[in-house]
Amino acid sequence: MGGNWCAHPCLMPLSWDNFRVVEFPAPLKETGSVSESLNFEHQLRLLPHQRGDIPHTESWYGIQEFVVITPGTNSEAVISESKCNLLLSSVSISLANSGCQIPMFVQIQQKWRRIYAGECHGPGVRTSFEMVQLRKVPSQYNHLSGLLDIFKSKIGCNLLPLPPVDIAIRFTYILQDWQQPIWPQQPPGLELHLAATWLHLTEGIVVDNDVYSDLDPLQAPHWSVRVRTSENPQCLLGDFVTEFFKLCCRKESVEDILGRGYAEEEGKEAADISSALSKLTEPVAAVPLPKLSVSSMVHSARKHIHRHRHIDESPLHIDILKSILLYLFPDAAVEKSSDSQSKMPTNSSKTSEEKLCDNLVLQLKSAPTDSLTYRLALGLCMVNYSYGGLPAVAHLWQEFVLELRYRWENNYLIYGLAGGPPDLRCCLLHQKLQMLNCCIERRRRRDEAPSGMGGSRQREHKASCGQGPSSAAATSSNQAKSWDSWSDSEDEFFECLSDQEDTESLRSERGPDSGKGKAEGRLHPYNDLTLLNSMEPLYVPVTQEPAPMTEDQLEEQSEVLAKLGTSAEGSHLRARMQSACLVSDMESFKAANPGCVLEDFVRWYSPRDYEEKYEVDEKGNKVLTGELSARMKIPGNMWAEAWEISRVTPARRQRRLFDDTKEAEKILHYLTMQKPGDLARHLLPCLLHAALLKLQQEESVEKIPSVEKNIQQAITQANLLLHSGSYDYKKLEDFINQLVVMETVITRARSLKDKFAVDKGEPGEATEELKKFVSSLLEEPEVVVTGAGQGLTGRIIHRLFLNAQRAALLVPGDDDLEPERKKAGESGKTSDFPSPAGREIILRTYVPRPAPYSKALPQRLFCVLMKEEFRLAGAFSSDTSFF
Amino acid sequence: MDDGVLTTLKLLIIGESGVGKSSLLLRFTDDTFDPEQSATIGVDFKVKTLSIEGNRAKLAIWDTAGQERFRTLTPSYYRGAQGVILVYDVTRRDSFMKLENWLNELETYSTRNDVVKMLVGNKIDQDDREVDRNEGLKFARKHSMLFIEASAKTKDGVQCAFEELVEKILQTPGLWESEHQGQAFQLKDQDPGRGRACGGYCSIP
Ligand SMILES: Nc1nc2c(ncn2[C@@H]2O[C@H](COP(=O)(O)OP(=O)(O)O)[C@@H](O)[C@H]2O)c(=O)[nH]1
Ligand SMILES: [Mg+2]
Repeated sequence: MGGNWCAHPCLMPLSWDNFRVVEFPAPLKETGSVSESLNFEHQLRLLPHQRGDIPHTESWYGIQEFVVITPGTNSEAVISESKCNLLLSSVSISLANSGCQIPMFVQIQQKWRRIYAGECHGPGVRTSFEMVQLRKVPSQYNHLSGLLDIFKSKIGCNLLPLPPVDIAIRFTYILQDWQQPIWPQQPPGLELHLAATWLHLTEGIVVDNDVYSDLDPLQAPHWSVRVRTSENPQCLLGDFVTEFFKLCCRKESVEDILGRGYAEEEGKEAADISSALSKLTEPVAAVPLPKLSVSSMVHSARKHIHRHRHIDESPLHIDILKSILLYLFPDAAVEKSSDSQSKMPTNSSKTSEEKLCDNLVLQLKSAPTDSLTYRLALGLCMVNYSYGGLPAVAHLWQEFVLELRYRWENNYLIYGLAGGPPDLRCCLLHQKLQMLNCCIERRRRRDEAPSGMGGSRQREHKASCGQGPSSAAATSSNQAKSWDSWSDSEDEFFECLSDQEDTESLRSERGPDSGKGKAEGRLHPYNDLTLLNSMEPLYVPVTQEPAPMTEDQLEEQSEVLAKLGTSAEGSHLRARMQSACLVSDMESFKAANPGCVLEDFVRWYSPRDYEEKYEVDEKGNKVLTGELSARMKIPGNMWAEAWEISRVTPARRQRRLFDDTKEAEKILHYLTMQKPGDLARHLLPCLLHAALLKLQQEESVEKIPSVEKNIQQAITQANLLLHSGSYDYKKLEDFINQLVVMETVITRARSLKDKFAVDKGEPGEATEELKKFVSSLLEEPEVVVTGAGQGLTGRIIHRLFLNAQRAALLVPGDDDLEPERKKAGESGKTSDFPSPAGREIILRTYVPRPAPYSKALPQRLFCVLMKEEFRLAGAFSSDTSFF
Repeated sequence: MDDGVLTTLKLLIIGESGVGKSSLLLRFTDDTFDPEQSATIGVDFKVKTLSIEGNRAKLAIWDTAGQERFRTLTPSYYRGAQGVILVYDVTRRDSFMKLENWLNELETYSTRNDVVKMLVGNKIDQDDREVDRNEGLKFARKHSMLFIEASAKTKDGVQCAFEELVEKILQTPGLWESEHQGQAFQLKDQDPGRGRACGGYCSIP
C-alpha cells in the first residue's frame, strides 16, 4: 500500500477564499471505477502513516485516487454549515459539469479533525462521502451491533429482507515495556502491535454488543504483528557517542570552565608533588621524593599547578574521580616502584580478533584498545554523559595531566602505552603520550648510570668541558655549530653507560694500543674486522638514538626540509641540517676506535661505499684491497667534511640529540592547553572505534546480516571521515546516526529473540519456525502469524500479553492466578489481552438506492474506535439513472 | 601554469644504499646523470609535475639514504606516502636479497595499506649482472608490485617507472581522494586493459 504519492498543488479561484487543490493520483496503477475501488479489501490499517498533509482518505474511504480541496495554509477552516454545504454543492456541480470521475473531497471543520467530505460521479452512479469524528466513542456505538444500526439507518434501507452485511474487523493490541537493553538503564523503546483480524464475517454469526462479545482475539483467524520503535528510542551507546560528539564544537578552555582559581598557584605546597591520584591511593609519605634535581623549568611549571582542591567545588565527585583515574592508571593500585616496568605486556601471538582490532586502529587512526588513550576516550565519554558534562570533562582532563606530570617528575613510565617511538598510525594525542613516555624512558636510562660514573649531569658537564680529547676539538666548535642546527639542546649531555662498556674501556686501557688514547663508548666488536691502520678490532660504538617524533613535528620538519627547495644548494643545506646524527655517530666511532680513519667508519656505516677486491701482489699472492667508493672520494663531499669536523667524543659526553626534558615540558604544556573541545576531536576516532567494536561484538552474537554489512560500510566511511584533515561535522553526525540505527536494530533483535525464546528452544521445526518469524519481524514491516492465536508463535505472543497483563494488574509473581482465573470461566479470557488500542470495522453491502427498484450499489462504512477518537467514514452510492 | 595541477602525490624511494636511488630521481627530475653525486644524508626531496592523459599531478618525491643507521629516521617519511619505489641493483645480489626487509619496514611504518609499490631493478647498463630479470619479475608478482628494469645512467625505463606508478595511484581512488576531497579529478578512461604508454616492462596490477 502506499506507493509513490505525488501531489500537484494549484490554486483554485473560489470567490470567498483561497483553497489549495491537491490531486492524489493512484499510487500504483490506474484503479477502475469508483465502485471497484470501493471493493473493500483494501487492507485495514490502523493509524496509517501520514505523509505530509496527505489525508487518510485512502484508508478511510478505501479509495486510492482522488482530489482534495483544503483551505490554504493561511486561510480559515470551513466551519459554518452553510459554507460547507456551499462548498460541497459547488463540488457536485463541477463534477457533474466536467464529467470527471475522480472522487473529489473538501476538508471541512477544524483542520485538526481531518474531516473530509466529498462526492464522486460515475456513469449512472453518484457516491457521497461523509465523515463523523468525535473525541470519544459514544457508548451506544461501542460495539458491532451499534455500528450496524448506524450503517443500516444511513443507507436508509427499510427493505425486507435485508441483504447480508459483510463485516471485516481488526483489533489492535499493543504490548509495551518488553525491551531488553544492550546496556543497562535503558528505558523501553519497543512496542509490539498485534492485529487480530476477522474478514468476511456475516451479520448474525458474530455477536458483539454491550453485554457480550464473540470477538475473542485468541479465536481470530488472522494474526499479524508489527514492531514499532517508540518515538524516542533510547540507545545508550548512541547517546554516549552523540553527547561526546557535541563536545567537539565546544570552545571553552579548562580555565573558562573550572574558573581561574583551579589553575592557580598555591606556593606553600611546592614541596608536595604528589599527584591527585597518589593522594587518593597511597599515603603521601609513601611517595618517594624525587631523586633528581629537576630543571628550573619543571620547577616553575609546577608552581602553577594547583594541588589542593576544595572537594565540594569539584565538578566530579571524589569517589567517581578516584575510580576513573584508577581505570585510566591501573598500575597506581599496585605499589609504585621505579623498577617495576609499567610498559604494556609485550604482544605475543595475536588472535584473529585482535588483528581485526589492529586493523580498526589503522582504518580509524585511533589507538590500540588496551592503550591509555583509548581508555581516556571512554573515561571522558563516560563522565561527559553520566557525571556532569563539560565541567566534569575539564576536571578529569586536568587531573589526568597532573598525573602525567607527576609521572614525568618522578620517572614513572606511563602505563598502557607501547614502547618505542610514537606510532604515527595512531591519533596525535596517542603519539604525544607515547612521546612523553619516550622522554621518561630516556631520562630513566640516564639516571640508571652507576653513580660513580657520573650519575650527576652536572659533573659530566664539567668533565666534558675541561679535559680529554674534546678540549682539542673545542677550537673547531664554532665550525661545528652550523652542523648542529637540527639538534636543539644546548647544555644537556647524553649519558649512557653500561657494564659492558666499563669492562671494554678498562681492557682497552690495558691493551697494547692504549698509548694512542683511551677508547671510550664501545658497544661490541664489528664482524671480526680490524682497523685499517692497526690490528685493533673495529668496534661498534655506543651511539645516541635519534630523536623520536610525533606526526606534527615530523610535518613541521619535512615542511622545513621541503622549503629548502630542489636546487643543489637546497639539497646540500638539507643534508647539513640532517647531519647531526651522522656527526654524532662519527664522534662516537672515533672515541670507540682510536686511530681510525674514514674508511673504517664507512666499512661499518655504509659498507657498500667501501669497495673491496682481490689483487695479486708482486709475490703472486692474492690480497684483499679496498678503497672508498667514487662518491665518497669526491673531495669536499659532505661525508668527508663531517669526518673532518667531528671530534673524538663518546656519545655520553656529546650534546644530546634529543632533549627529553625540553620535549617533555613541551608536551605537558601542549596537553595543559587542550580545551575539552580539542580533546573530543582528538579522541573521537577512539570513541568511534569503541562504538564500532561494540556493535560488531553485539552483532556477532545476534547475527544480523544487514547490520554486519552496515558495520563494514561504516568502517570504510569512518576511514574517509577521520583521515581527512578536518572533520566534516555534518557527515560525522550522519555517521553517528547510522550507528544509532544499527544499535536499534541489534537491540530490537535481542529483545525479539529473547521474548520469543528463540535460543532456548530445542532444535526442531518449531524453533525453525520461530527463528523465521523473528527474522522477518526484523526485516519486514508486518508479519503474519501462522496459525494465529493457536499456532506456536501465537501462543508465545499470547503469553507475552498475559504476563504483561498480570504484571500490570496484579501483584507480580502471583502464580496462583491461573487456576483461579480458569475457574472464573469464559469471561476471564478477555483479560489475557488489554483492551484493544484500536478497533477498525468495515461494513459493506450492496443495496439498491435511492429507490427499491434502483440498481444495487456498494455501500460502505468504515469505523475507527480508539481511546481518543471515534470516526465514521461512509461511502454511500445511489443510482442516478433509474431512480 | 599552476592551475592545471590537480593533485599532489607523495612518493618515496627506498632501497639499500648505493643502488642508485638518488641517481634515478635526478634522471627523472632533471634528466641528467651525475657520477659525482654524494651519498644521501637523511632524506632528500624533489618535486616534479607530471602529465598523464591530460591530468597533471604534482609529485613530491622523498629520497632516502638507505644505510642502516639512517633507517631509524626515515620511517617517519613513510607516513602518508601514496606510492613507493623500491630499488635494487641488478649487479648486486645482496641488494636484491634485502628487498624483503624493506617490504617489512614498509608494512610496519606505512600509514595506509593501499600504497602502490613499484620495484625497480637499476643499473642494467652494466654487464656484471647478478640478478636475472625474471627473478625481479617473480618477486614483484609475489608481492603485488609493479616492476621495471632501468638504468639511471642511460635513462632506460626511468620515466616509465614514475609514470606507471602515478597512473596506478590515480586509478586507486581511495588513495588520493580522501586527502584531496572536493577536487574533481576524473580519469577519462578507466579501462584497465587499454594500451600502455610505454613498452619494455611489465606491470602486475
Ligand atoms: N652504471 C650505473 N651506475 C649507476 C646507476 N645509477 C647509479 N649509479 C652509480 O651508483 C652509485 C650510487 O648511486 P646513488 O644514486 O648515489 O645511489 P643511492 O645511494 O641509492 O642514492 C653512484 O656512484 C652512481 O653513479 C646506473 O644506472 N648505472
Ligand atoms: Mg642517495
